[in-house]
Amino acid sequence: MKFRNIQTVIAREYLTRVKKKSFLLITFLGPVFFAAICIVPSLIMFFAEDNGKRVGIIDQSGIVMEKFVSTDAVAYTDYSAEHPDSLKAHFKGYGLDAMVVISPIDSVSRSVSVTAYSSSPLSVDMKEAIGSKVDDAIEDWRLGLYDVGDLKQIMSEVKSDVSVTTYTLGEDGEEKLSSSEVYMIISLVLSMIIYMFIAMFSGMVMQSVIEEKASRVVEVLVSSVKATELMFGKIIGVACVALTQFLLWVVLTAVLVTGVSAFIGFDSIMDSTSVQTEQMNQMAQGLGMDQDMMEAAGMAMPSAAEIADQSELGAIMSTLSELNYVQLILGFIVYFALGYLLYASLFAAIGSAVENEADTQQLQIPVTIPLLIAFFIAFYAFKAPDSAVVFWGSMIPFTSPIVMLARIPFGVPAWELALSIVLLVAAFVACAWMSAKIYRIGILMFGKKTTFKDLWKWLKQD
Amino acid sequence: MGIIQCKDVCKSFGEKIALDHVSVDIPKGQIFGLLGPNGAGKTTLIRIINRITIPNGGSVLFDGRPITQDDVEKIGYLPEERGLYRKMKVGEQAMYFARLKGMSSRDAAAELKKWFVKFGIESWWNKKVEELSKGMAQKVQFITTVVHKPSLLILDEPFSGFDPVNAQVIREEILRLKEEGATIILSTHNMESVEELCDNIALINKSHVVISGGVDEIRRKYGNNNVELVYTGGAISSAEGIYTVLSDGDEGGRHTAVLSLDGGSCGNAVLSDVLSRGVTVNSFKELVPRMNDIFIKLVTEEE
Repeated sequence: MKFRNIQTVIAREYLTRVKKKSFLLITFLGPVFFAAICIVPSLIMFFAEDNGKRVGIIDQSGIVMEKFVSTDAVAYTDYSAEHPDSLKAHFKGYGLDAMVVISPIDSVSRSVSVTAYSSSPLSVDMKEAIGSKVDDAIEDWRLGLYDVGDLKQIMSEVKSDVSVTTYTLGEDGEEKLSSSEVYMIISLVLSMIIYMFIAMFSGMVMQSVIEEKASRVVEVLVSSVKATELMFGKIIGVACVALTQFLLWVVLTAVLVTGVSAFIGFDSIMDSTSVQTEQMNQMAQGLGMDQDMMEAAGMAMPSAAEIADQSELGAIMSTLSELNYVQLILGFIVYFALGYLLYASLFAAIGSAVENEADTQQLQIPVTIPLLIAFFIAFYAFKAPDSAVVFWGSMIPFTSPIVMLARIPFGVPAWELALSIVLLVAAFVACAWMSAKIYRIGILMFGKKTTFKDLWKWLKQD
Repeated sequence: MGIIQCKDVCKSFGEKIALDHVSVDIPKGQIFGLLGPNGAGKTTLIRIINRITIPNGGSVLFDGRPITQDDVEKIGYLPEERGLYRKMKVGEQAMYFARLKGMSSRDAAAELKKWFVKFGIESWWNKKVEELSKGMAQKVQFITTVVHKPSLLILDEPFSGFDPVNAQVIREEILRLKEEGATIILSTHNMESVEELCDNIALINKSHVVISGGVDEIRRKYGNNNVELVYTGGAISSAEGIYTVLSDGDEGGRHTAVLSLDGGSCGNAVLSDVLSRGVTVNSFKELVPRMNDIFIKLVTEEE
C-alpha cells in the first residue's frame, strides 16, 4: 500500500464533504438543537409559568368551589350563579382567560364532569391543577359520605409517599447521590447517537462507492491507486468527517450552553439549588444521621416532602456533575471509530457489487439486521445493564459498539471493555479483508445483477 | 525490446477463460493497435497491464523488468468505461487525478494550465462536470490521462464521444505524443483509425492472439496478390502465367481493371506485358485489403 495515495484519497473524500453546504448546516445547527434541548425545558419552567390568569368557575356541584383558592398566579372567580351559555357570551367582557364548568354530581358514578373553555389553549399545568382540585373535592365529598368522624385525619396519616434516594458506592466506599433516570437518559441518547452515526456514515461510504461505479470514475481511479487503497482511503476520509462533526458538536454545544446560561444567569439558579442540596446532605451527615434514621425519628414531617423534592433535582445535578465526561466521550470515539470501520467496510463491499442504490436492498439485509438488533438491545439496556443479553450484546462485535455504549454510563469493568474492544478489532480486520476482496472485483463488474453466490465466488478468487 | 512484453499471460474468472497464454510485445515509441471483437479479452489484457487485475499465470515486463506498482505512474489509461465525478469542479478533479499519478501539486497545476490553454478550456476550471456536455467532459478526461507525461498511454476507444472536429484534435495529439517518444496502445473498433495511426497490431479473438505484427505487413499478407491497372486503349485479356483479368470496366476508352497475379509473377512482368500490347498505363497499384476486411475474415473464420 502506498501511503501517499491513501492520503490523497482521504483528502478528497474529506474536503468534498466538509465543504458541502449540508455538512456546514448540520454541523452548526446541531449544537443549537442540542443546546435547546438542554436549556429550553428549564427556561420554560422558570419563565413560562402561568401568571395573572383569570379563571371563571361555574360550580354546579356545589362542592368544588371551595378548593379554588386564588393565588398570585391564578385568580379564580365564582360565576356559579350564571348559566354556562351566558358566561360564554360574556367571556371576553369579564376579562377571563378561561372558564371551567363543573357539572352537578352524578348519583350513579358519584362523580362530576368538568369542561374548560379558554381563548388560547389551556397550558398543561393549568389543566392538571384544575383536575387535581376537582379530584380533591370529590375525594373529600366521598369520604364525607362514610360519616366516620376522623376519616379525613386517618387517611392523611395512612397516605404514603416514599421516594428512594439512590447512591452509588465508589471504590473507596464514597457515597454519591445519583439519579438512575440520568443514567438511563444518557445511555439512551448515547446509543441512539452512535447508532445514527454508524448507520449514517457507513451508508455514506456505500453511496460514495456506488457513485464512483455509476459515474464510471472507478476504472480511471484504480489505474492509479490500488482498489484496497481506494477503499480504505474512502473509509478513513469519511471517518474523519464524522469525527470532525462529532467534536464540533461537542465543543459548540458546550460553548452555546455555557454562553447562554451565563447570559441569562441560569447557571446561578442551578448552582444555588445544587449547593443547597449539598448543604442539606452534609448537614444530615454531620448530625450522624442517614435518611432512614431521619424518617424513623419522624423528623419534621411537613418538610420531608420538601427534602425529597429537593434531593431529586439534587440527584440529577449531582449525577450530571459526577459523570465522567472524558470517559463517555472517549468511549464514544473508540466505539464509534471501530463500529464504523466494521460496518463501513461491509457497506463498501455491498456498494461495490451494485450499480445503483435501488439494487442494494437485498444485499444490505445481512448487514443492517445486526445493526438494528444492536439498537434494540441498547434501547432496553438501561432496564438491566448487567443482564446476559446485554452482556453478550456488548461483546459480540456486530452489536458491541452500540450496546457497550449504552452500558458505559452505568459503569463497565475494565476487562469487559478490553475484551469487547479486542473482539471488535479482530472482527474489523477479518471483515475488512473480505470486503477488500469483494470490492476489488465488484467495482469493475457491470451489467449483471449481483447475488450472494457471486459475492462468495469473488471472495474465493485471487 | 518492447516497453511492454506479455509472456503467456493467462486469466480466468471461475470457469470462464478470459486470456489463454497471450503473448504480445509492444515496441517502444510506436502506436500499437489492440484489436478484437467484444468479449475477446482485450479489456482484461489492458487491466492486467495496468495492474488492475492480477493474472493467473505468465508475466508482464515493463521496460524489460517485471512490472511493479510504481510503474503504474508512468502509464496513462483512458478506459472505455470512463467518467468523472459529476459534482466536483473540473480543475479540482484534474488536480486529483494528477496527484494520484504522483505529481506534486505545483507541477500538476502548471501542466494542467498548459493543457487547458491548449484546448481553449481555461474557463471551465471552476465549472462542475455536470455542467459540461459529453464532448467537453471527454476533453477533460483526455487531459487527465496525459497530464503526467506517461511513457505508455493506453487508450480504449479514445474517439467515442467526440465530434469529427474534436476527434481530429485528439488524433493529432496522439500523433504528437508519439513524436515526443510516448508509446501508445490503442484499442478501437474503428479500423480506419487503425490504418491511419497504428504501426503494429495484435488481434485477439476468444482469449487468443490470432495475429500480430506490422500493419502493412499484415495487410499485404492477407492481400491475394491483386493489382489495379488503369489504362487507355484496347481491352487487354489474361496472359497465361503472368496475370488473369478479374474485371475490366470501360468508360469511354479508359479502363479500370483488376488483375490477379499468377504464381511466380511480379509487377514488372505484368507491366511489360501490358506495355507490349500498346496501351497507355495511367496508374498501377497494388491492391491491399482493408483492415476491416481482415478483421472480419479472421474473426468469422474462427467460428
